[in-house]
Amino acid sequence: MSKLEKEDIQGLLVRGYGNLPSAKYLLYTGSQRKETLDFILQLIPKITPASEKPANEALHLAFTYEGLAFLELPSPVLDSFCREFKEGMAELQRQFVLGDTGENAPQHWDWGNEPLHFLLLVYGKDENQLNETLAGIRQLSDAKGITELYALPTGLLQGQKEHFGFRDDISRPIIRELLSHPPQDPDSTFPAGEFIMGYDNLYDELAPSPTVPPQLDPNNKLPEHRDDSNLKDLGKNGCYLVFRQMKQHVPTFWEYMKANSSDPSAAIGLASKMVGRWPDGSPLTLCPFQPDPSQSDTNDFEYWEQDKAGLKCPIGAHIRRTNPRDHLVTEKSRKDSLEMAAKHRMLRKGRPYGPPLTPELDPEIIMQKADDGKERGLHFICLVTDIRRQFEFVQNNWVNFHKFGGLENDADPIIGNHYQNERRKTDSFSIPEYPVRKIHSSLPNFTHIKGGAYFFFPGIRALQYLTDND
Amino acid sequence: MSTVHKGLTVTVTLDEQKIPYVNGLLSEYRKDLRLYQEKYRKSLPGTFFISWLTLPSQVYQDRETLPARILLLTSYVGSKSRHLKELAAFLAPQLRQVFSQSVEFPSGEPSEEKLVQFLNQKSIPNTFYSGFKFISTAEVEQEAQLKSEVLSYMQKQESLGPASEPATVKKAIESFVSSHPKLHWASGGIPFSSQNKVQMLWPLAAFGLLMLASIVSLIALLFTDALLFRWLAWIFPVFLLITGALFLLLRLNENNPHEPSPELSDEKVREIVALETNPVINEMTVIAPLKKGWVRRVFLALTLKLVGLVAYFAYIPTVHTARWLQMDKGKRLVFIANFDNLSEAYAHDFVDSERRSMNMAVIFSHAFGFPATRWLVHKQYNHRSEYMKGVRAHQKITQFWYSYNRDLSVENLKRNRAFREGLFKKMDDPAIKDWLLTI
Repeated sequence: MSKLEKEDIQGLLVRGYGNLPSAKYLLYTGSQRKETLDFILQLIPKITPASEKPANEALHLAFTYEGLAFLELPSPVLDSFCREFKEGMAELQRQFVLGDTGENAPQHWDWGNEPLHFLLLVYGKDENQLNETLAGIRQLSDAKGITELYALPTGLLQGQKEHFGFRDDISRPIIRELLSHPPQDPDSTFPAGEFIMGYDNLYDELAPSPTVPPQLDPNNKLPEHRDDSNLKDLGKNGCYLVFRQMKQHVPTFWEYMKANSSDPSAAIGLASKMVGRWPDGSPLTLCPFQPDPSQSDTNDFEYWEQDKAGLKCPIGAHIRRTNPRDHLVTEKSRKDSLEMAAKHRMLRKGRPYGPPLTPELDPEIIMQKADDGKERGLHFICLVTDIRRQFEFVQNNWVNFHKFGGLENDADPIIGNHYQNERRKTDSFSIPEYPVRKIHSSLPNFTHIKGGAYFFFPGIRALQYLTDND
Repeated sequence: MSTVHKGLTVTVTLDEQKIPYVNGLLSEYRKDLRLYQEKYRKSLPGTFFISWLTLPSQVYQDRETLPARILLLTSYVGSKSRHLKELAAFLAPQLRQVFSQSVEFPSGEPSEEKLVQFLNQKSIPNTFYSGFKFISTAEVEQEAQLKSEVLSYMQKQESLGPASEPATVKKAIESFVSSHPKLHWASGGIPFSSQNKVQMLWPLAAFGLLMLASIVSLIALLFTDALLFRWLAWIFPVFLLITGALFLLLRLNENNPHEPSPELSDEKVREIVALETNPVINEMTVIAPLKKGWVRRVFLALTLKLVGLVAYFAYIPTVHTARWLQMDKGKRLVFIANFDNLSEAYAHDFVDSERRSMNMAVIFSHAFGFPATRWLVHKQYNHRSEYMKGVRAHQKITQFWYSYNRDLSVENLKRNRAFREGLFKKMDDPAIKDWLLTI
């Protein structure tokens, strides 16, 4: 097992910054290359490495392909990035793969269509600290003529919930190399290469990584590529960052549940079937009839033995699609399902945004509240080494494919794109029951994509290389 | 009679300069297909898929140029002669127009009968896999309708709730099916079910029996000197010897330095994926010259024969049909698959499972640019990335592609069949409960 070079890895890859609850995501476009490089150069010392556990603030930096091209990275370097990153999230084929069509098409997004160059993720221990850090950054960006296109606010919600009122982010992949005593069972952890470039992944190989011919790194900033000594590894200790702003229609969500249930408790039951967990986080697979607060944090459950037919947690439920664990209907064995599911995990690092409809986020209260007209949702951020294999595969094959698991017209009930046209119907949700499954039809879109982009999240040496490239 | 799925592969050589013209014709037919989908379905009732493409010349062993070709690959149910007649009757003008570009096509304007003869003469054997065995084209729709009607019926039955006995529920469904004028056909059993199994399994049974007879003869020779035993006794040891020798030669060949496929340009990949716009089923054609060494050709030929014998038991998730074959004296490997969703997702079905990546290596490791192996199935380095690169590097654009079924996934087809199979079948309560989950 290789040792992680934590001093060279941006800290977000190993931390969620729960101790830094205030955060803002800033999207920038530079106008002058030199000034932009100066700006980045001055930011580099402030970037938080994985070797530090910051108590007050943290800062991270990521680039779009347009941003790297704007910095005039040489063509062989730009060409070495993966096609998805080069094309960008709003490109036509990527739209098709991601299901960003109709209401979710990029032409309806607030951001992501214009040329974005880079993203700053800023975290603070409180609002004062955050504002102080932001003021420093703004002073610097103003001096260098860098345009801050968007400043996206975030706000952690009570009880680790998201806006619909459900506990979120319970199932997180654990990087094996970060543990001082890795567990005996290798299936419960992941090799660093799944999320950090330059290390072995689950296929016992390096993820595809951007590279630099040695003559284009005269100051020898970058390490040699392990698989090809004729190249330098620009990706080492970095990864790709996927960012999607997802607006949540909380009143629409609970209106649908109420309209399709006999009483509030049944409405919560239906919503829980769609999510796969009760609002408190307890998994339906372990507590099919009512929530069990003692299981709120439980992530140790599987489907093959406990719920193969989906009678407890439906096959099409959100958590069964985004992480099918040990049961994929198309696989003939638990082992094959486990292997398949493991190869499509992501490190989620996003945060909610907007005010909650009710501060306590209790579904019984939320569903009584009228729409307040305010926007709220999730800034979905995930870190991966392979955009196509990890993020796009899950989004395409498991979230939006309406035939997932032998289903007929069902996209993910929570985050799927629900619609009907002459060739496709994706707005149903099937609940396996005895004697016959129940089908909920005409699901509206409970979430909408409002913006998104693919970023390169480099290691710190790679950041230095980017500013040193003249 | 049977409803076993089969693959027809017709190929002729083509002057490379004519490729753009033939591609243009095939692309026109593809456009027409959008307008005449229903006509195709009615006129080709036994045909599930058609892939029609041109293949540019390829280089084998750095020195031999393999010719450009036209390839017509169909998946059908029933007899080959009926399928050929069906193709010739409906697609005669298109077949004549395209194949007449080859010098191998008969001169003049051949009649339908001559066209059938031509297709038959130019067809080559393939190893075929079907993910929804024994379902005919007509049954695809019938079974979907059956399940849909039963689902509607059940949703309206307030008397059949969670408290109902499984046997009562099953009986109610069966009464509904028997009395429904459009579903009455489902009251009978599934036609040809025994014949289908026999037809698929007899070659394996014959092979097994031959080997067994040989082993028995070897033992019998200890007690008797009968001529029949003396002949039979040779078969198993010779088979073992040849296979063992081939394995050793292959292992030596595997020591050749691995030559990776040149990575396909982004533009070329875009051109390929731009055709994958169907909401449920898409198609992939991969054609690669083999790696250096005659042993690769022989080993692959033997492997494809053996894979064909066990095709009944094979399972590839999300694949409707797939086929592998060798062309040009075994120097080219052709792989074609019709699968659910997109090619990226489909390719993961192979590389994400350790077991399946071993199975895949049995065939693909012989093709140029595909990952290096040890003892045929053991991975060397960068197996996954080399496999993905190999597939893309040798993926061809299929200019014309037709699919009878466009809306049902393999899993949908299998569930619909499982529901039909359970109708009027004796079951205990747990089995009925499982069966009801297929609705």
